[in-house]
Amino acid sequence: MVNESTLLASTKAEWIKFRTVRSSMMGVILTFVLIIGLGVLVSSLERSHWSQVSNLRQATFDPVSSSLVGILFGQLAVGVIGTLFITSEYSSGSIRTTLTAVPNRLRLIASKLFVLFATLLVVGEVVCVAAFLIGQRIYFGVVPTASLDNGAVLRSVLLAGVYLALLGILGFSLGLIFRQSGACISLFVTLLLVVPIIGFFFPQSWQNDFQRFEPSTLGQSMFSPSAPSNSFGAWSATIILTAFVGVVLLIALALFERRDAGAVT
Amino acid sequence: MIKIDHLTKRYGGTLAVNDLDFEVKPGVVTGFLGPNGSGKSTTMRIILGLDRPSSGQATINGQRFANLKDPMREVGALLDAKAVHPGRTARNHLRALAASNQIKRSRVDEVLDFVGISSVADKKVGNYSLGMSQRLGIAGALLGDPGILLFDEPVNGLDPEGIKWIREFFRTLASQGRTVFVSSHLMSEMAVSADEIIVIGRGKFITSGSIDDLTKTAKGTVLVRASDHDKLASAVALHHGVVHEANDNGLIIGDLTSDEVGQIAFDVGIAVFELVPQRASLEEVFMDLTADSVEYESHSSGTV
Repeated sequence: MVNESTLLASTKAEWIKFRTVRSSMMGVILTFVLIIGLGVLVSSLERSHWSQVSNLRQATFDPVSSSLVGILFGQLAVGVIGTLFITSEYSSGSIRTTLTAVPNRLRLIASKLFVLFATLLVVGEVVCVAAFLIGQRIYFGVVPTASLDNGAVLRSVLLAGVYLALLGILGFSLGLIFRQSGACISLFVTLLLVVPIIGFFFPQSWQNDFQRFEPSTLGQSMFSPSAPSNSFGAWSATIILTAFVGVVLLIALALFERRDAGAVT
Repeated sequence: MIKIDHLTKRYGGTLAVNDLDFEVKPGVVTGFLGPNGSGKSTTMRIILGLDRPSSGQATINGQRFANLKDPMREVGALLDAKAVHPGRTARNHLRALAASNQIKRSRVDEVLDFVGISSVADKKVGNYSLGMSQRLGIAGALLGDPGILLFDEPVNGLDPEGIKWIREFFRTLASQGRTVFVSSHLMSEMAVSADEIIVIGRGKFITSGSIDDLTKTAKGTVLVRASDHDKLASAVALHHGVVHEANDNGLIIGDLTSDEVGQIAFDVGIAVFELVPQRASLEEVFMDLTADSVEYESHSSGTV
């Protein structure tokens, strides 16, 4: 059903489209600024206040996840990149032009996903490795540091990049379902930042079960060298998050296949 | 060739397209005419696979649009000139389209040059006027050098010079043996730019044929000035004629030929001073054809 040469052609086209609008480039820059900037800020504070930190905190301190703390905000930028990659087609009406050039809808989405995932994976890995190395550099000599020579540390830093790419796909899938930038971005923020707050109001016994399935907790598991309490291991968390994003994507695809692309307001 | 085969499209409870069935042939400019909201754009969107038909189908050279391998090489379309990402330049927009259909990059410069927007090709499309956007849309349609072209209301927003240019452009495309399918809600526009016309109203087929055919089938009226208008009016009514208008200057009579009116006047002994057959204008033919199918009608009388 999907021809190889045409798949390559539409992927090339989507790559041109991705890099020729300002929003994608701004999103990538914002991802770097947020993740590295916040990492530098938090690591520096950690270093300057290290002597005042309790022994217990010092003993459980994780130099990996604390240097990657900027992901908390960087993930929103990545989600916006993913969302806008499809919703801007609906807001401008260019989806109609796109679909007359590539009428096979499955092929179109495959091309878009490939461009988005590949780009965000590269961006995610580069930014996470950079934030990690800068963080360790700041900790050096005062705060305990971690090294990429350690297998669990390397895994955590690399999975942090995967986490960002997966969230980009989540933003894209929501965009494809709702076709409207504003609604999608608020939903994305709700899912990542507000749902965890709601979780706090649940009885303790529910809380443990609920929280470990939240995307942000899964992410925390993915980029921690040792699993935090009441949460999944890094690989299980990766699989669960992938499955979660996969389900949303499948719903989006099913709707996209069925719906008219004509008039959307 | 475009073939529309018993095509029906329902949006919720409304029938946008109702059992349309026609063919658009190569080598001529075919006008697709109907009032606003009559289903022209919906039909075009279905031809392009953007909307799914409720029943029936539209095919391009025997194939569904979605099954074409590099569709821009077979069908070029301009539906909505503003359907372009406003933050992208015209050149990048066309480069992406060319890449998606394996069209060589040099073709982008060719079509930009052809439509006359090369000098602004590296400006963001969001800053374009409607006329410039139309030209960009035409450039996109021509990119794959397709044998079939669809244009939805292409003259909207063009200046007189642009309109003249586009009419000649359609002629040229058709004379090269291409299928050119152009929609409009203006009969006068179609009269000068189309060879064949398909008229629809409220999603339904009304008629088709050449411009001449259409005006021939239309009923004309007869203007008559005579010695006794009242007497003539009642005589005409007896012969199933309709008096459209009556004043001191004369009567306008429908449903009868000038010969018949002259004969009636003679039979009742009225002197005829003036007897003029009036042929319906194209605009009147169109109004007449679509009178029952105008969705948004304005009412000239009454208070608001």
